[in-house]
Amino acid sequence: MTLTPSTRASLLLRLRDSQDRDAWAEFVNIYEQTIYRLLRHNGLQDADAREVLQELFLIVNRNIERFEYDREKGTFRGWLRRVSRNLVINWLKHRDRRLTPRGGSDMQSMLDMIPSDGPESTQFDREFHRAVFHRAAELVRAEFHSETWQAFWETGVLGISPADTAKKLGMSVGAVRVAKCRVLARLRVAVTELEAIQ
Amino acid sequence: MTSVNGLCSVPLIEAALNGKLPVTQEVTFQEHLETCEVCIVTMEKMAGGPEWCQETAMHLTKDELDEAAQGKDDWSEVDFTVEYLEPSDEPNVLGRLGGYDMLEVIGRGGMGVVLKGFDAQLKRCVAVKVLAPHLAHNPLFRKRFAREAQAAAAVMHPNVIAIHQVQATGRLPFLVMPLIPGESLQQRLAKRGPLEVVEILRISMQASSGLAAAHEQGLVHRDVKPANILLEPGVERAVLTDFGLARAGDDRTLTQWGVIAGTPNYMSPEQARGEKIDGRSDLFSLGCVLHEMATGRTPFNAEGTLALLKRVCEQHVPPPSLIRPGLPRWFDRLVLKLLAKDPADRFSSARAAAKVMEGCLAHMQDPSAAIPVEVADPPFPLRKMIWWAVGLLVVCAAAVGVLPEVLARSGFGAKTKADETKRFEGVQVLNEADIEDAVIEAEMQILDQGIKDLEGSLKESQTKTMEKRSP
Repeated sequence: MTLTPSTRASLLLRLRDSQDRDAWAEFVNIYEQTIYRLLRHNGLQDADAREVLQELFLIVNRNIERFEYDREKGTFRGWLRRVSRNLVINWLKHRDRRLTPRGGSDMQSMLDMIPSDGPESTQFDREFHRAVFHRAAELVRAEFHSETWQAFWETGVLGISPADTAKKLGMSVGAVRVAKCRVLARLRVAVTELEAIQ
Repeated sequence: MTSVNGLCSVPLIEAALNGKLPVTQEVTFQEHLETCEVCIVTMEKMAGGPEWCQETAMHLTKDELDEAAQGKDDWSEVDFTVEYLEPSDEPNVLGRLGGYDMLEVIGRGGMGVVLKGFDAQLKRCVAVKVLAPHLAHNPLFRKRFAREAQAAAAVMHPNVIAIHQVQATGRLPFLVMPLIPGESLQQRLAKRGPLEVVEILRISMQASSGLAAAHEQGLVHRDVKPANILLEPGVERAVLTDFGLARAGDDRTLTQWGVIAGTPNYMSPEQARGEKIDGRSDLFSLGCVLHEMATGRTPFNAEGTLALLKRVCEQHVPPPSLIRPGLPRWFDRLVLKLLAKDPADRFSSARAAAKVMEGCLAHMQDPSAAIPVEVADPPFPLRKMIWWAVGLLVVCAAAVGVLPEVLARSGFGAKTKADETKRFEGVQVLNEADIEDAVIEAEMQILDQGIKDLEGSLKESQTKTMEKRSP
């Protein structure tokens, strides 16, 4: 029994869409962290920060149709980055005025507004970079033996000497040194890749 | 970089960095690194240098916000008690609130704190739900709390928690409810895992009836989830709690009520999009609960809130029987009908859903009872039977024209396939692979039947020819 051409086409569509959905999740994950931390750093409570995050999602989701067409050209991510960056920076600037998305021309101007280079945008970029690092670390960690990762973590992040780490983990000092550098090198590739797709 | 033993070489370091050194060489190289400063520096440089290492350390070092994101929060029972409860002389009592002795904190959500209280006048324990202090500062929240609590109090139904008292004034608004012994559905699922179909139906039917009673009062729950369904032991009564509190009135952004502060796993697509919702949104959430009761997991899962909400809006749910084989097909249909993305494709009301669940339960207890038509296998279409009858007649009439008949039949097969697809879409089997399987199966049956029919008609025509010849 052969499939009809229309079924085949829709299967392809589904596949492409599901891959895209994963890419979307990967992408959004980094933004979620970025924005959450940015809001918390600006004095919001956990629950409040989550609420703002949710409102951002509502706005993005409500306006997403307009940008679906451009997705093929890869502008969807660019759009999402611009929109979430603008929204959160503007939100921080006019905090007393609630976000309450209502659509319409007002909404459009909010989406299109280019935030001036204030402390908020510097903060945003810093948090974004940090979120990329954390995601990269999460992905890279799975590729290494736990003791390799541990050796990197102790020496590279916590700043413990290779000798002490070697003693603690029961490895040779040379092995600790190699482990640290292996993870660092791999991380560099992962961070570059993630930044490129964002 | 030269070395007598050839260990100081860039390709060697590169191979070590990529994890491509054979084990024997690896050990030798690691030993070499204990002493060779040149190789250490070269390797570190190749891995990004000290700047890269510093940047990595700076970004990966955990801070207090990472801890907060891992679920630790700053709420303290002691602070709450000291700050908001009147002191009490009784030992074993946290403090007093509105004339009740507060015995212990039994739960806490985005909206507020639930305490076990003791009603000295009626000599009974009660559950006291207090609006969260950070919301109580806001007059708008207080007004809504009062309005919705009163609306919930007006719903009198065995499957909806009763409200004894609503206290909207005072420092912290609160409401008083009966203390239900037993556990929440969430606790039961955590303890016992997926439930039997009969049990699932019993719980969901009761939850649905409770929802119906509320919807008929114009109240949407908005936060149907296992934690909000209490199971009374012995009588096995399911009671919906947190009624109306999650409702944001006519506001389009539900977030102001902190509904999303928890998990959006049970949220309907229209809720996730912040659109206007009605009772059918609760039916979607109930569908998520049914899915979890049957399979042990919620239908939508993702890392991060936003990705999850997107899935709720876009991802089609495969039939639960794919996760737990052996679930009846009508059960798949029931769950998928509740989980329809478009509210118009769900049951028209919680009342209608409860009725169907009741019918399913009756069928489970007595298999001779018919499965409710909403979730039953689609009947063999009358139209198709007529077509077959016509086809058979044509064969009989044109006893000689066997070949043209086969051609006609193949065209007919295509039409049947379209019918099949439509029929399966109608019951929301949204997994395309399943539809295809079903279509293929149906076509095989039709082909089988067709071959039998052809054999029959051939025999018939042979007999007729014999009869013609005989006289």
